[in-house]
Amino acid sequence: MSLSKKEKIFVGILLVAIVVIWAFSLRDVGGMDDLKNMGIGSKWIATLPYGDSESTGFFRLNRINWMTVGVGAAIVIGLIWFARSVGKKMSTVPGRRQSFVELLLDFMYNTVEESITRKEFIKPVFVISTTLFFFITISNLISGIPGVSVSVINGEPVFGLFLDTWYTPTSDLNTNATYAIMILVISHAFSIKARGFKTWIKSFFEPNPIMFPMNLVGELAKPISHSLRLFGNIYGGGILVLILSYMIKYLILPVFLWGFFGMFIGLIQALVFSMLSIAYIAAQVN
Amino acid sequence: MEISQAIIEAAKFIGAGFCMGIGAIGPAIGEGNVGAHAMDAMARQPEMAGSLQIKMLLAMAVSESTGLYSLLISFIILFS
Repeated sequence: MSLSKKEKIFVGILLVAIVVIWAFSLRDVGGMDDLKNMGIGSKWIATLPYGDSESTGFFRLNRINWMTVGVGAAIVIGLIWFARSVGKKMSTVPGRRQSFVELLLDFMYNTVEESITRKEFIKPVFVISTTLFFFITISNLISGIPGVSVSVINGEPVFGLFLDTWYTPTSDLNTNATYAIMILVISHAFSIKARGFKTWIKSFFEPNPIMFPMNLVGELAKPISHSLRLFGNIYGGGILVLILSYMIKYLILPVFLWGFFGMFIGLIQALVFSMLSIAYIAAQVN
Repeated sequence: MEISQAIIEAAKFIGAGFCMGIGAIGPAIGEGNVGAHAMDAMARQPEMAGSLQIKMLLAMAVSESTGLYSLLISFIILFS
């Protein structure tokens, strides 16, 4: 394998950047003893001034995770900007970016077309699943890149630059649960639209009325497993990397682990999430 | 540290270890099955290898999820 001069310069810059980041992060590496004081798995949650702040149960709706909101909004704005910049320069002979986008969209469209048999539902399902795929892919990919992270130590948020990977919106269960419940509602709405209200009600009492509780629990268990799968992969992977890499921080191991947990697992889980949402909708519609 | 606290601390570690250890058995068997059958299919029809690989990874990721639940539970036991 021979590299051109440009590629050699790029690889050199990359190596220098890794060494600089590693030396920068060495400044506060301790032993395994203060692993517990690092605030692993903690989240910066702010309490808003309205609402019932006394109760601690389900109806305490005034808590907000600023990093999820901020990073999620940034990803959405970035995606919109990218889509606009590609859509402005559409040409019959596609450029680099346009052919990349076309490849991805083509793949998703073929997958949807294979599983949804009703013609009129292909486009909405394609839009929903592809949007979810893009958002989750980008937010999983930035969990393989070092950046701004935040951890809570003694109740105070502590920001870290290049100490950990970017905060990922999908490592917050609220994001994943929102999408999973959204898919559940959409699938049942499409079911009513496609087969009529009577058939939809009847589908809960099949094969006989005794099975009604089973069908109900089966439907309600879908969003739980759907959201927890993505959450467990991203959040568990992040914590695993943090613990494993604590001793030889940023030397060799974390780069490999970030590549594996952030990029490989992240891409596969984004694909799994959108494929499962297509499958759930297809099971209700067909 | 009081003796009751020490027992709780020790039980946490033992519980987390058992949770992850036993919870990893099921997904391991499942993923092995998926991989074995995908290999079989690829050996029978090498021209299908490309599409089978993606489907194999998808099935592996789905069967992995129960192991991840136990990973999450053991993290919750350890760090809370």
